[in-house]
Amino acid sequence: MKKRTVGMVVGAALLSMCFGVTSYADDAYRVAYIARAQEDSFAAWLADEMRAAFEEYDDMTLDVFDGQANDEKENSIIENCIANDYDAIIVQANNGEAQLPYIQQIVDAGIPCITTNPRVECEGTGSVDADPYEQAKVNCDLALEQIPENAKVVVLLGPAGNFHSNERRAAWQAEFFDKRPDVEIVGEDIANWNKDEAMTLMEDWVQANEHIDAIISMNDNMCAGALEVVKDDPAYEGVLAYGVDGTAEACLLIQEGRMTSTGLQSAIDLAQMNTDYVHKVLTGEMEVTDVRDDVPAPLITADNVEEYIEMYKENGQIK
Amino acid sequence: MKNSKLGHVLEKYSIYIILVGMFLLCSVLNPNFLSSRNIVNIARQLTVGIILAYGEMLLVIAGLIDLSVGSVLALAGCLSIYSYYSTGSILVAMLVAIAVGVACNLVNAVLVTHFGVPAFIATLAMQMAARGAALYSTNGQNLLQLGDYVKVGQGSIGVIPIPVIFMVVISVIIWYIVNHTRYGRSLYAIGGNEAAAVASGINVKRSKYITYILNGILAGIAGVIFMSRVNAGLPNGAVGYEMEGLTAAIVGGTSFSGGVGTTMGTLAGAFIIGFLNNIMNLNGVDSYIQQMVKGLIIAVAVVFDIRSKNRKTRKIILVENSEKKEAK
Repeated sequence: MKKRTVGMVVGAALLSMCFGVTSYADDAYRVAYIARAQEDSFAAWLADEMRAAFEEYDDMTLDVFDGQANDEKENSIIENCIANDYDAIIVQANNGEAQLPYIQQIVDAGIPCITTNPRVECEGTGSVDADPYEQAKVNCDLALEQIPENAKVVVLLGPAGNFHSNERRAAWQAEFFDKRPDVEIVGEDIANWNKDEAMTLMEDWVQANEHIDAIISMNDNMCAGALEVVKDDPAYEGVLAYGVDGTAEACLLIQEGRMTSTGLQSAIDLAQMNTDYVHKVLTGEMEVTDVRDDVPAPLITADNVEEYIEMYKENGQIK
Repeated sequence: MKNSKLGHVLEKYSIYIILVGMFLLCSVLNPNFLSSRNIVNIARQLTVGIILAYGEMLLVIAGLIDLSVGSVLALAGCLSIYSYYSTGSILVAMLVAIAVGVACNLVNAVLVTHFGVPAFIATLAMQMAARGAALYSTNGQNLLQLGDYVKVGQGSIGVIPIPVIFMVVISVIIWYIVNHTRYGRSLYAIGGNEAAAVASGINVKRSKYITYILNGILAGIAGVIFMSRVNAGLPNGAVGYEMEGLTAAIVGGTSFSGGVGTTMGTLAGAFIIGFLNNIMNLNGVDSYIQQMVKGLIIAVAVVFDIRSKNRKTRKIILVENSEKKEAK
């Protein structure tokens, strides 16, 4: 009985593995994309857009792997992809420093490698990125004009040590706070990109301060959480709120007039650029080391939000 | 004699004394702490954690554990939103969430009771599977535009937020189950000494099944409250919430060795952690220091638990020895 049960479980596992394997034409280029973490909504979106972008090509197939936000796992996947002799490997590093020696192994194996979101500086590779500093800076330029004199603001940060969070925060420091010493930060804390953690912090900050003029968030998810707390409070009508990512939720909030702006980090653009460049490298049109590009970081405000709402309606994230 | 009575009272009610002490200390540390809005905020923030803590408390009393509850909450919440999208009924959404919670916990129960898999391992496997299912079902994306679904987590009846009403009703039900039913008493017997419980005729397997089912119901309800509170279906939400639940239960006096724990103690434990988080946020304490303080509190609670257990054991040994001497 036990043997039969174990057999059934193993059989089911093998069957699911067979379903999970992508079939591909023998003559097609095989590309591996190693995503940072499928549980990260942006990374999941990027992986989906990668799959969609590869659909456009008959001579390339894509296999997507999940690094599960774990350096050790991501490094193992890189090793497996090298052993599996992929024609090209695109790496979305979880931690650039931790993946660097393994990315070097890809280069040493003679496999073209592109690092993306974030860029990992490694000789012999190409890179396509969205510049986190620029994404925050476009908000800062607007905030310089909008945030009133002697304003009190709160700042929501991503996970400690996260490259994108740190770069965005550095942009806010250099491009806004250093230029506006009158503005006081009355609360600044880590909410780990999470909406629920940002809500808890904002609920407490609202109690601790008579008024908050602006919410400065390193991503849209946390910004949406903070706005959720004050949405029915007349005292916070017109509160300024800045985020980064340009998520579907942020676009809806901007459309409703509750959020001020967000710097877009477009997974669609990132995926299309990566796909285009990897194809050019594989077909000999360019060298992988010549690939170095950034997707633009347009600012989304009430003036142009409709075009992004349309974009999200097309990909099904907004009904 | 008086000293020993006082010691007994202090030991029995220590968690409530700490809670009152914390409340008074926080009131002094920040004048905003006592505002009615802040108190309501704390209660609302704690609701999901308290509901999960009751599930963990029941399991830990019976010598079990659930490491999957955060993932099950996320799966239940996301699937309930899908059902709300298609039916427009909050009741149906709630029932779907509960059904998902129960289904996942039935799998846990089968693995633990029938296959003898340690609860730690079985629920760790479920943690991964449920999280994967939540991400797969939503494609890793947040679910938006929830409509009236958010009323469960954000609405109020009079001045009392709906989540707080859920919390109070569930607290009463759990208190009744634990203190006034045969099943409740069986939990303590199983957690205290499972072999003795079997020998005394308790249907241990049945009790374990009921415990996991109750835990699943609580996870489902918590899933709806969590998602509606944040106004989004978050497939990657509630990561690590099993630890929030366990922390509240352990700080509230539930013993990891099993057989010990109370509903009111767990409630008090959750509020102690909640007051601590709240006052540190109100006073702008650095988040790294907040983590250190919370770690310290858990360590102190467990040390207290072990020491009080050692004292009880010493008392039993002394009584037994004196009885033996008298018999001689």
